[in-house]
Amino acid sequence: MRVRLPGLYIALGLVLAGLIHIVAVLALPLLAPKNGYARLASIGPVNTMIEIPPAAPGQQIMPMMAPDIRYAFCRFDLANGPVRLNATVADELLLIALYTPEGENFYSVAGADMRRSEIDLIIAAADQTVEEAGVDAPESSDNVIVVNAPVGEGIALLRLPLAGPSTAIYAERALRATSCSPHTKSG
Amino acid sequence: MRSLAYFVGTFLVALILGIGSAWYMIERGSPLTTTKVGPWSGWVSEGNPNADHYTKAHVARSGRLPLTSTFARYFIARTDSAGAALSSDCEYLIVGAPINARWWSLAVYDAYGGLIANPSSRYSFNSEEMLRHADGTFRVNLSRHARPENWLPSGTDDQHLVLFLRVYGPRETDASGIGLVAGDRLPKIERKSCE
Repeated sequence: MRVRLPGLYIALGLVLAGLIHIVAVLALPLLAPKNGYARLASIGPVNTMIEIPPAAPGQQIMPMMAPDIRYAFCRFDLANGPVRLNATVADELLLIALYTPEGENFYSVAGADMRRSEIDLIIAAADQTVEEAGVDAPESSDNVIVVNAPVGEGIALLRLPLAGPSTAIYAERALRATSCSPHTKSG
Repeated sequence: MRSLAYFVGTFLVALILGIGSAWYMIERGSPLTTTKVGPWSGWVSEGNPNADHYTKAHVARSGRLPLTSTFARYFIARTDSAGAALSSDCEYLIVGAPINARWWSLAVYDAYGGLIANPSSRYSFNSEEMLRHADGTFRVNLSRHARPENWLPSGTDDQHLVLFLRVYGPRETDASGIGLVAGDRLPKIERKSCE
Protein backbone atom coordinates (compact mmCIF):
# COMPACT_ATOMS: atom_id res chain seq x y z
CA MET A 1 0.00 0.00 0.00
CA ARG A 2 1.28 3.44 -0.79
CA VAL A 3 -0.08 6.74 0.46
CA ARG A 4 -2.14 8.45 -2.18
CA LEU A 5 -0.12 11.29 -3.63
CA PRO A 6 -2.58 14.24 -3.35
CA GLY A 7 -3.03 13.51 0.33
CA LEU A 8 0.71 13.46 0.84
CA TYR A 9 1.17 16.79 -0.94
CA ILE A 10 -1.66 18.39 1.02
CA ALA A 11 -0.16 17.20 4.31
CA LEU A 12 3.31 18.40 3.27
CA GLY A 13 1.86 21.74 2.13
CA LEU A 14 0.07 22.30 5.44
CA VAL A 15 3.13 21.48 7.51
CA LEU A 16 5.26 23.78 5.36
CA ALA A 17 2.64 26.54 5.55
CA GLY A 18 2.63 26.21 9.34
CA LEU A 19 6.42 26.46 9.52
CA ILE A 20 6.51 29.47 7.20
CA HIS A 21 3.75 31.09 9.27
CA ILE A 22 5.74 30.66 12.49
CA VAL A 23 8.98 31.94 10.95
CA ALA A 24 7.19 34.96 9.48
CA VAL A 25 5.57 35.88 12.82
CA LEU A 26 8.83 35.52 14.75
CA ALA A 27 10.95 37.32 12.15
CA LEU A 28 8.64 40.25 11.58
CA PRO A 29 9.54 42.33 14.66
CA LEU A 30 13.21 42.02 13.66
CA LEU A 31 12.48 42.93 10.05
CA ALA A 32 10.44 46.03 10.89
CA PRO A 33 13.14 48.72 10.91
CA LYS A 34 10.71 51.58 11.45
CA ASN A 35 9.09 50.59 14.69
CA GLY A 36 8.00 53.35 17.04
CA TYR A 37 11.27 53.30 18.96
CA ALA A 38 13.41 53.64 15.82
CA ARG A 39 11.28 56.55 14.61
CA LEU A 40 11.84 58.48 17.85
CA ALA A 41 15.45 57.40 18.39
CA SER A 42 16.53 58.98 15.10
CA ILE A 43 15.39 62.46 16.15
CA GLY A 44 17.98 63.48 18.69
CA PRO A 45 20.62 62.69 21.31
CA VAL A 46 20.22 60.47 24.37
CA ASN A 47 19.44 61.59 27.92
CA THR A 48 17.72 64.79 26.81
CA MET A 49 14.05 65.65 26.81
CA ILE A 50 12.91 66.24 23.25
CA GLU A 51 9.57 67.79 22.43
CA ILE A 52 7.72 66.10 19.58
CA PRO A 53 6.04 68.62 17.26
CA PRO A 54 2.23 68.39 17.45
CA ALA A 55 0.88 65.84 14.97
CA ALA A 56 -0.37 67.49 11.76
CA PRO A 57 -0.95 66.23 8.21
CA GLY A 58 2.42 65.24 6.72
CA GLN A 59 4.18 65.96 10.03
CA GLN A 60 3.87 62.82 12.08
CA ILE A 61 6.80 60.96 13.51
CA MET A 62 4.63 57.91 14.21
CA PRO A 63 1.46 56.75 12.45
CA MET A 64 -1.80 57.23 14.36
CA MET A 65 -0.33 59.97 16.54
CA ALA A 66 -3.04 61.79 18.43
CA PRO A 67 -3.58 65.35 17.22
CA ASP A 68 -4.96 66.28 20.65
CA ILE A 69 -2.08 64.97 22.75
CA ARG A 70 1.25 66.70 23.22
CA TYR A 71 4.24 64.39 23.39
CA ALA A 72 7.83 64.66 24.62
CA PHE A 73 10.36 61.88 25.01
CA CYS A 74 13.74 61.06 26.41
CA ARG A 75 15.85 58.25 25.01
CA PHE A 76 17.73 57.05 28.05
CA ASP A 77 21.07 55.31 27.98
CA LEU A 78 22.06 53.75 31.29
CA ALA A 79 25.61 52.79 30.27
CA ASN A 80 27.12 55.57 32.42
CA GLY A 81 24.68 55.32 35.29
CA PRO A 82 21.03 56.01 36.05
CA VAL A 83 19.03 58.71 34.30
CA ARG A 84 16.80 61.17 36.09
CA LEU A 85 13.52 62.35 34.68
CA ASN A 86 11.93 65.34 36.37
CA ALA A 87 8.43 66.62 35.67
CA THR A 88 5.94 68.92 37.30
CA VAL A 89 2.61 67.18 37.43
CA ALA A 90 0.62 70.10 36.09
CA ASP A 91 -2.26 67.95 35.06
CA GLU A 92 -3.76 64.67 36.18
CA LEU A 93 -3.87 63.63 32.53
CA LEU A 94 -0.06 63.47 32.32
CA LEU A 95 1.20 59.98 31.46
CA ILE A 96 4.79 58.83 31.66
CA ALA A 97 5.51 55.51 29.94
CA LEU A 98 8.82 53.70 29.61
CA TYR A 99 9.54 51.50 26.59
CA THR A 100 12.15 49.00 25.53
CA PRO A 101 13.55 49.27 21.98
CA GLU A 102 11.04 46.55 21.03
CA GLY A 103 8.19 48.87 22.05
CA GLU A 104 7.34 47.04 25.27
CA ASN A 105 5.77 49.41 27.77
CA PHE A 106 7.47 48.10 30.92
CA TYR A 107 6.47 50.91 33.25
CA SER A 108 3.79 53.62 33.27
CA VAL A 109 2.52 56.15 35.74
CA ALA A 110 -0.43 58.50 35.40
CA GLY A 111 -0.57 62.02 36.82
CA ALA A 112 -3.85 61.18 38.52
CA ASP A 113 -2.15 58.43 40.54
CA MET A 114 0.92 60.44 41.61
CA ARG A 115 -0.74 62.68 44.23
CA ARG A 116 2.22 65.01 44.21
CA SER A 117 3.07 68.12 42.28
CA GLU A 118 6.51 67.10 41.18
CA ILE A 119 7.95 63.77 40.22
CA ASP A 120 11.52 62.52 39.98
CA LEU A 121 11.80 59.27 38.14
CA ILE A 122 15.19 57.60 38.44
CA ILE A 123 15.63 55.03 35.71
CA ALA A 124 18.30 52.52 36.69
CA ALA A 125 19.56 49.33 35.11
CA ALA A 126 18.97 46.07 36.96
CA ASP A 127 22.57 46.05 38.28
CA GLN A 128 22.53 49.68 39.42
CA THR A 129 21.39 49.93 43.02
CA VAL A 130 19.53 52.82 44.53
CA GLU A 131 22.52 53.64 46.76
CA GLU A 132 24.78 53.87 43.77
CA ALA A 133 22.24 56.12 42.16
CA GLY A 134 22.65 58.43 45.15
CA VAL A 135 18.93 58.95 45.57
CA ASP A 136 18.84 58.27 49.30
CA ALA A 137 18.70 61.95 50.13
CA PRO A 138 15.89 61.95 52.72
CA GLU A 139 14.42 65.37 51.99
CA SER A 140 13.49 64.47 48.46
CA SER A 141 12.66 60.80 48.84
CA ASP A 142 8.91 61.42 48.81
CA ASN A 143 9.05 62.57 45.24
CA VAL A 144 11.49 60.00 43.99
CA ILE A 145 10.46 56.85 42.20
CA VAL A 146 13.18 54.40 41.23
CA VAL A 147 12.38 52.25 38.23
CA ASN A 148 14.54 49.30 37.35
CA ALA A 149 14.74 49.04 33.59
CA PRO A 150 15.11 45.60 32.00
CA VAL A 151 17.14 47.23 29.22
CA GLY A 152 20.24 49.45 29.05
CA GLU A 153 18.60 51.77 26.58
CA GLY A 154 14.98 52.74 26.10
CA ILE A 155 12.55 55.58 25.72
CA ALA A 156 10.50 57.51 28.25
CA LEU A 157 7.48 58.88 26.41
CA LEU A 158 5.46 61.64 28.07
CA ARG A 159 1.90 62.21 26.95
CA LEU A 160 -0.22 65.16 27.90
CA PRO A 161 -3.75 64.81 26.50
CA LEU A 162 -5.36 68.20 25.94
CA ALA A 163 -7.99 69.03 28.54
CA GLY A 164 -9.85 71.41 26.26
CA PRO A 165 -9.81 73.21 22.93
CA SER A 166 -7.44 75.99 23.94
CA THR A 167 -5.15 74.22 26.37
CA ALA A 168 -2.43 73.22 23.90
CA ILE A 169 -0.23 76.13 24.92
CA TYR A 170 -0.35 75.08 28.60
CA ALA A 171 0.36 71.46 27.74
CA GLU A 172 3.35 72.45 25.62
CA ARG A 173 4.64 74.68 28.42
CA ALA A 174 4.27 71.86 30.96
CA LEU A 175 6.19 69.44 28.76
CA ARG A 176 8.90 72.02 28.12
CA ALA A 177 9.39 72.26 31.91
CA THR A 178 10.30 68.57 32.13
CA SER A 179 13.89 67.45 32.08
CA CYS A 180 15.91 64.34 31.54
CA SER A 181 19.61 64.04 32.36
CA PRO A 182 22.24 61.63 33.66
CA HIS A 183 21.72 61.31 37.39
CA THR A 184 24.73 62.68 39.22
CA LYS A 185 25.68 61.33 42.60
CA SER A 186 24.78 63.69 45.37
CA GLY A 187 25.91 63.78 48.98
CA MET B 1 9.59 15.85 -13.75
CA ARG B 2 6.00 15.66 -12.68
CA SER B 3 6.79 15.12 -9.03
CA LEU B 4 9.16 18.10 -9.10
CA ALA B 5 6.32 20.24 -10.41
CA TYR B 6 4.13 18.94 -7.59
CA PHE B 7 6.80 19.81 -5.04
CA VAL B 8 7.27 23.33 -6.37
CA GLY B 9 3.52 23.82 -6.55
CA THR B 10 3.08 22.56 -2.99
CA PHE B 11 5.86 24.85 -1.79
CA LEU B 12 4.36 27.90 -3.48
CA VAL B 13 0.91 27.19 -2.07
CA ALA B 14 2.47 26.71 1.39
CA LEU B 15 4.37 29.98 1.02
CA ILE B 16 1.21 31.90 0.13
CA LEU B 17 -0.80 30.24 2.90
CA GLY B 18 1.92 30.69 5.54
CA ILE B 19 2.77 34.32 4.77
CA GLY B 20 -0.84 35.24 4.05
CA SER B 21 -2.15 33.85 7.31
CA ALA B 22 0.74 35.44 9.24
CA TRP B 23 0.09 38.80 7.56
CA TYR B 24 -3.62 38.64 8.30
CA MET B 25 -3.20 37.64 11.95
CA ILE B 26 -0.57 40.35 12.50
CA GLU B 27 -2.26 43.13 10.57
CA ARG B 28 -5.92 42.51 11.36
CA GLY B 29 -5.76 40.27 14.41
CA SER B 30 -7.58 37.10 15.35
CA PRO B 31 -9.74 35.99 18.27
CA LEU B 32 -6.47 35.07 20.03
CA THR B 33 -5.25 38.66 20.13
CA THR B 34 -8.07 41.09 19.52
CA THR B 35 -11.56 41.84 20.70
CA LYS B 36 -13.96 42.71 17.92
CA VAL B 37 -17.22 44.57 18.41
CA GLY B 38 -19.05 45.59 15.27
CA PRO B 39 -16.56 47.53 13.14
CA TRP B 40 -14.16 48.07 16.05
CA SER B 41 -11.23 45.89 16.96
CA GLY B 42 -8.77 46.31 19.80
CA TRP B 43 -5.54 44.47 20.63
CA VAL B 44 -5.73 43.32 24.24
CA SER B 45 -1.97 42.93 24.90
CA GLU B 46 -0.58 45.87 22.89
CA GLY B 47 2.59 47.21 24.49
CA ASN B 48 2.61 44.52 27.15
CA PRO B 49 6.08 42.97 27.71
CA ASN B 50 4.38 39.57 28.08
CA ALA B 51 2.43 39.90 24.86
CA ASP B 52 2.16 37.03 22.39
CA HIS B 53 4.24 37.06 19.21
CA TYR B 54 1.36 38.19 16.99
CA THR B 55 0.79 41.26 19.13
CA LYS B 56 4.52 42.04 19.29
CA ALA B 57 4.80 41.78 15.51
CA HIS B 58 1.72 43.95 15.13
CA VAL B 59 3.14 46.67 17.37
CA ALA B 60 6.54 46.57 15.62
CA ARG B 61 4.89 46.89 12.21
CA SER B 62 2.49 49.61 13.30
CA GLY B 63 5.30 52.05 14.15
CA ARG B 64 3.42 53.09 17.27
CA LEU B 65 4.33 53.01 20.96
CA PRO B 66 1.06 51.98 22.60
CA LEU B 67 0.31 52.06 26.32
CA THR B 68 -0.58 48.75 27.94
CA SER B 69 -4.24 47.91 28.36
CA THR B 70 -4.24 48.79 32.07
CA PHE B 71 -3.64 52.45 31.14
CA ALA B 72 -5.33 52.77 27.79
CA ARG B 73 -7.44 50.88 25.30
CA TYR B 74 -7.26 51.52 21.58
CA PHE B 75 -9.94 50.60 19.06
CA ILE B 76 -9.65 50.83 15.30
CA ALA B 77 -12.42 50.75 12.66
CA ARG B 78 -11.82 50.36 8.95
CA THR B 79 -15.46 49.77 8.06
CA ASP B 80 -18.86 51.17 8.94
CA SER B 81 -21.23 49.20 11.16
CA ALA B 82 -22.61 47.42 8.07
CA GLY B 83 -19.12 46.18 7.14
CA ALA B 84 -18.40 48.40 4.13
CA ALA B 85 -14.92 50.01 3.99
CA LEU B 86 -14.82 53.60 5.23
CA SER B 87 -14.28 55.94 2.31
CA SER B 88 -13.83 59.68 1.97
CA ASP B 89 -16.40 59.53 -0.86
CA CYS B 90 -19.09 58.79 1.69
CA GLU B 91 -20.66 60.64 4.55
CA TYR B 92 -21.11 58.93 7.92
CA LEU B 93 -22.99 59.57 11.11
CA ILE B 94 -21.11 58.30 14.15
CA VAL B 95 -23.35 57.87 17.18
CA GLY B 96 -21.66 57.33 20.52
CA ALA B 97 -22.63 56.58 24.10
CA PRO B 98 -20.79 57.96 27.16
CA ILE B 99 -17.46 56.26 27.81
CA ASN B 100 -16.38 55.85 31.42
CA ALA B 101 -12.74 56.95 31.29
CA ARG B 102 -10.45 59.78 32.36
CA TRP B 103 -10.04 60.98 28.77
CA TRP B 104 -10.85 59.68 25.32
CA SER B 105 -10.51 60.82 21.75
CA LEU B 106 -11.95 59.81 18.38
CA ALA B 107 -9.72 60.64 15.42
CA VAL B 108 -9.80 59.98 11.67
CA TYR B 109 -6.74 58.98 9.61
CA ASP B 110 -5.93 57.85 6.11
CA ALA B 111 -5.19 54.16 5.52
CA TYR B 112 -1.55 54.70 6.59
CA GLY B 113 -2.37 56.35 9.91
CA GLY B 114 -1.73 59.89 8.65
CA LEU B 115 -3.88 62.84 9.61
CA ILE B 116 -6.00 64.28 6.79
CA ALA B 117 -5.49 67.94 5.81
CA ASN B 118 -8.58 70.11 6.02
CA PRO B 119 -9.27 73.85 6.21
CA SER B 120 -10.48 73.80 9.81
CA SER B 121 -7.48 71.77 11.08
CA ARG B 122 -9.89 69.42 12.80
CA TYR B 123 -8.60 65.86 13.12
CA SER B 124 -10.33 64.52 16.20
CA PHE B 125 -12.88 65.10 18.94
CA ASN B 126 -11.97 64.27 22.51
CA SER B 127 -13.98 63.89 25.70
CA GLU B 128 -13.34 67.51 26.66
CA GLU B 129 -14.45 69.18 23.46
CA MET B 130 -17.13 66.91 21.99
CA LEU B 131 -20.56 68.53 21.85
CA ARG B 132 -22.84 66.14 23.71
CA HIS B 133 -26.53 65.76 24.38
CA ALA B 134 -27.99 65.95 27.89
CA ASP B 135 -27.81 62.15 28.23
CA GLY B 136 -24.11 62.10 27.36
CA THR B 137 -24.53 60.68 23.87
CA PHE B 138 -22.85 62.37 20.94
CA ARG B 139 -23.07 62.48 17.15
CA VAL B 140 -20.13 63.08 14.85
CA ASN B 141 -20.57 63.85 11.16
CA LEU B 142 -17.69 62.35 9.22
CA SER B 143 -17.85 64.10 5.86
CA ARG B 144 -15.70 66.00 3.40
CA HIS B 145 -18.26 68.82 3.43
CA ALA B 146 -18.89 71.11 6.39
CA ARG B 147 -21.61 69.77 8.68
CA PRO B 148 -23.24 71.04 11.89
CA GLU B 149 -22.65 69.64 15.38
CA ASN B 150 -19.36 67.70 15.58
CA TRP B 151 -17.88 67.79 12.08
CA LEU B 152 -14.93 65.52 11.46
CA PRO B 153 -13.61 66.41 7.97
CA SER B 154 -12.52 63.53 5.75
CA GLY B 155 -10.57 65.63 3.26
CA THR B 156 -10.69 66.12 -0.47
CA ASP B 157 -8.63 63.10 -1.58
CA ASP B 158 -10.44 59.91 -2.58
CA GLN B 159 -9.16 57.36 -0.10
CA HIS B 160 -10.01 54.82 2.54
CA LEU B 161 -10.40 56.09 6.07
CA VAL B 162 -9.54 54.69 9.48
CA LEU B 163 -11.28 55.71 12.70
CA PHE B 164 -9.24 55.41 15.88
CA LEU B 165 -10.68 55.60 19.37
CA ARG B 166 -8.23 55.93 22.25
CA VAL B 167 -9.55 55.59 25.79
CA TYR B 168 -7.15 56.71 28.54
CA GLY B 169 -7.69 55.64 32.13
CA PRO B 170 -10.76 53.43 31.62
CA ARG B 171 -12.57 53.33 34.98
CA GLU B 172 -13.93 49.80 34.61
CA THR B 173 -11.35 47.04 34.75
CA ASP B 174 -11.33 43.28 34.87
CA ALA B 175 -9.72 41.21 37.64
CA SER B 176 -6.23 41.64 36.14
CA GLY B 177 -6.60 45.40 35.79
CA ILE B 178 -7.20 45.48 32.04
CA GLY B 179 -9.36 48.45 31.13
CA LEU B 180 -12.80 47.50 29.90
CA VAL B 181 -14.86 49.41 27.40
CA ALA B 182 -18.20 47.65 26.98
CA GLY B 183 -19.13 46.82 23.41
CA ASP B 184 -22.26 48.96 23.51
CA ARG B 185 -20.09 52.01 24.41
CA LEU B 186 -18.23 51.86 21.11
CA PRO B 187 -19.77 54.24 18.57
CA LYS B 188 -22.03 53.05 15.76
CA ILE B 189 -20.86 54.13 12.32
CA GLU B 190 -23.76 54.63 9.94
CA ARG B 191 -23.26 55.45 6.26
CA LYS B 192 -25.54 58.26 5.14
CA SER B 193 -24.70 58.74 1.47
CA CYS B 194 -21.94 58.42 -1.08
CA GLU B 195 -20.84 60.62 -3.97
